[in-house]
Parts: sequence; structure tokens; C-alpha cells
Amino acid sequence: MIRLVLLVALLAAGTVGVRAQQLLDWSPEEISAVGQHGPWPPPPVQDPSNRVSGIAAGVVLGEHLFNEPRLSGDGRMSCATCHQAGREWSDGLAKARGAVELDRRTPSLWNIGYLHWFGWDGAGDSLWAQSIRPLLDPREMNGGPTRAGELLRNDAAFACGYEKAFGSKPGTDDERLLVDTAKALAAFQATLVSPRTPFDEFRDALVDGDRDRASRYPLAAQRGLKLFIGDANCNLCHLGPRFTSGEFGDIGIPFFVRPGVVDPGRLGGLQRLSASPFNLLGKYNDDVTASNTRRVRHVQRQHSNFGEFRVPGLRQAGRSGPYMHNGSLARIEDVVRHYSEVSPDRLHSDGTPLVRPLGLTPQQSADLVAFLRSLDAETPPRPAPAPLCP
Amino acid sequence: MRLAAALLGVLLATPAWAGDCPLDLGRGTGWVVFSDDYLMAFRADPLHIEVGEPFALLINVCTRRGGAAELLAVDANMPAHRHGMNYRATIVAKGDGRFRAEGLLFHMPGRWEINFDVRAGDESERLTHDIILK
Repeated sequence: MIRLVLLVALLAAGTVGVRAQQLLDWSPEEISAVGQHGPWPPPPVQDPSNRVSGIAAGVVLGEHLFNEPRLSGDGRMSCATCHQAGREWSDGLAKARGAVELDRRTPSLWNIGYLHWFGWDGAGDSLWAQSIRPLLDPREMNGGPTRAGELLRNDAAFACGYEKAFGSKPGTDDERLLVDTAKALAAFQATLVSPRTPFDEFRDALVDGDRDRASRYPLAAQRGLKLFIGDANCNLCHLGPRFTSGEFGDIGIPFFVRPGVVDPGRLGGLQRLSASPFNLLGKYNDDVTASNTRRVRHVQRQHSNFGEFRVPGLRQAGRSGPYMHNGSLARIEDVVRHYSEVSPDRLHSDGTPLVRPLGLTPQQSADLVAFLRSLDAETPPRPAPAPLCP
Repeated sequence: MRLAAALLGVLLATPAWAGDCPLDLGRGTGWVVFSDDYLMAFRADPLHIEVGEPFALLINVCTRRGGAAELLAVDANMPAHRHGMNYRATIVAKGDGRFRAEGLLFHMPGRWEINFDVRAGDESERLTHDIILK
């Protein structure tokens, strides 16, 4: 009997010991910092500049248009050619490939509806404005300004879908129909919200004070998270539930595209933004209050914008390489190594000390990778879209 | 992602030396900044500043003698990182020493130093105030 009691006591002590090892000590400040990366998912997107945002008929029309190769100049390329559902809404390539190979990587569309600036350089101030660019760009889909209008007018199913979404038959104004095509595309893309992840389970448990549930999160990921919000300061830019400020930074990636040619990043994006007839200051903004124009009215173009690119969100990032705006880093381990070893000399003269070589040990690097991979989750197969007009 | 706005809940008690300065911001909350020559009160709109979200500042300013003063510019920077805002505020005068600075946005948590350039007559001065975003 005594042996049995001792055995039970030893087992209990062992269990407690194991559990204690599975949850690191988290200070109130750390718990608060972790809590700011949730909850997930956020409420659905409602874009007041887009009158079909969040409208079911607009989303359905947008998904059909997203998969429609007739929007391209040669009839062979759709949005889905580069933004593939099975590749985290990107293409797995270092450089995007449209009519020609481009200088930047295809960004993932996960959680894109929550941004305020679009494209690597933020040349778009709405998701619909950004969706117009690849339709027209000769290097990408090369669709020309009339193709979307012709499709919506001449294809019975699309004409019906358009009327259901926008409340009227497609008219004769091709520019208006191009914008409406982009607004339907945006309505669909805004529904692409990444699934909950192991991190979200941990975050919620930690905030709730549920130690048992929190202790299921791997120790390596916990150590990596502590680095992320602590000494590495990653959360200065990769903040909030989407792990991005949505703004722009220079992190020491070379900006030479090829000898003698540079990618100016945000500096060029702001120039295109101000020149675009489709920005939120133009006539196609559906928000009559214009309250959504504050960013574009007040954003300033600064020399320091040269070589800056949009801070990407990190959800599903472990599954959607290559990395950086130019796809120059193949694996997420390479990204961590970049931040560990980045040379301050590679930051241009206006670079801030935000980015500095972290000098991570192999263990710390592995822990950061474990944390970043905990922001990934399997996504279920996507069902076929509902018919445009049953 | 809320501003550590401890002061937002603090009642703005008009100092005895405020004279006729229009320091009442209308909601009983805000910050007061002063120098040898100027008095200024301000609060954010909305009251809670959030990282990555645009906001405005409602600002009342006057001289310590109760005279009229002008708000010339509002800007902010993060001394620790040696960078400013990505946005430029515009100022609208509302009369009687009241101003509204629109279009500010703090894109990063940490300490932000807000700079207010004020002037009365030929004399101008920069007033500063630090806030910490968490």
C-alpha cells in the first residue's frame, strides 16, 4: 500500500514536472503583448469605397471573374494563374510571371482585405484599385481597358451576375465596368481569411489564464514567440492580429533589380498612387462621407521611402515562400538568418536602427522558425463557386 | 493596441494661471503643455489612439498672458528609431485659439514625441509632448 501511494505521488510529481516544463513563465507585459496578436479571425471586411463589398452576389461574381482567363489579352491568364488557392494564393515562384517575368514576387492574398495599402509599394489605396493594375498591365494580364466591359455585356452569365451584384445591367461605359469588375474581384478577395492556427489557441489560452491549454503549445514556439515580442523586436512592424503594421520598411534587401536598374519601392508607389484616376480621391470611391480618404490625403512622399516595401503579414507565411518582395530568400529559415546577420551597410543612408543584426544562436533561430510555423494551418479544399445565375 | 493613455481619464483642471486661455477641450480630458510664454491643451479624436489608425488632435493654444496664439504645425517622431510619421498633418483654425490637426497616424508602438510649433506675433516656439503607444 505504501509503495502504491509512493508510486502515485511520484507519477503526480512527474506529471506536474512535465506540465511545468511545457509552459514557460509569461509576465503580464508579455501576455499583453501576445494578446495583441489576436483574436482571430477578425470581423468580415466591409470596404465603404466598394458598394459590393460584403455583398454575396458581388463575392460570387468576383470569384468567377477571378478565375476568368478572358480578362487577359491572350485569353490564357486569369488572376488565379498567379494567385493559386493551393499555393496560399500565391504561385511559389521567386518572381511573378505574367506576359513576362516581373521583378517582384506574387504576394499572397490571405487577409488582404484588411490592408490599407496594396501592392509591395502601396501604389493602391483600395483593394479594387489595386485589382485594376494587373488587368491592364502589359507585363501581366494585358487585358486592355475595354475587355472587362465587353465580357460583362456580351456573356449572358456574367451580365446576369453583374445585374445581381450591382442592381443594373452592364452599361456602355467601359471604364465604369472595369472599375466594377475590380470591385467584384475585391469583394471576393476580401473573403480570403486565413484559418485559426496553433498560435491562436495558445494566445487565447494565455489570455484566458488557461495554463493546461496553453501548455499544449510547443516549447520551441513559446521561446520563439518570446524572442519575437522581446529582444528581436519583430512586433514593432509585424504587429496586431495580422502580424503587420500595413506600412513600409527597408530591411536591407538589395534594391538593384539588375545592373543599373533599381526598384524604388514605396517612393515609386506613392508617385503612381497620386497619378492614378482610381485612387480614393477620384470619382469611383463609393464612400460618400470620404472618411476613408484620410490616409491618401495625408500620406507624404519622403526620400526615406526609397527602397521601402510593404511589411507582409505572417499568417500562413511558412507555407508561402519564397520570401521578401523580390523572392530572394527561398526558405523561412533564410529569412530568420537574414535578420540575424543583416549588415547595416546594406541599409541605405536613411535606414533606421530598427533593423540590426540580431546575432541569433542556432537554437534561437530554430525557435523563431518554430514560432513562425505555428502561424500556419491547413486549409480545407475550396469548393466550386456558386453559379452566377442559377 | 491601445494608447497607454493614462492621462485621457484625467480631468483637465484649468490652472489658476490660465487666465482667459481656452483650455477646455469639451470632454473634460486631455493633456496640458506649457512653456514660459505659451499654454496649450490638446486631446485626440478619437480619444484612444491606436497603432496604425488615423486620428486628429484638437488643440487650444494661447500665450501665458492670455493673448492669441497661432498653431503653425504639428508633427511627430520616434526618437528611439529616428523616424517620423509617414503622414503629414494639416491644420484647420477653428477660431478663438482652437485648432484641429487632421491626418496623424502612428504606425508603430513605442514612444512618440509630438511637436507643436506655435507663434504669437514674431515669436515662435516648439512645444513637445511624449506619449507611449503599447
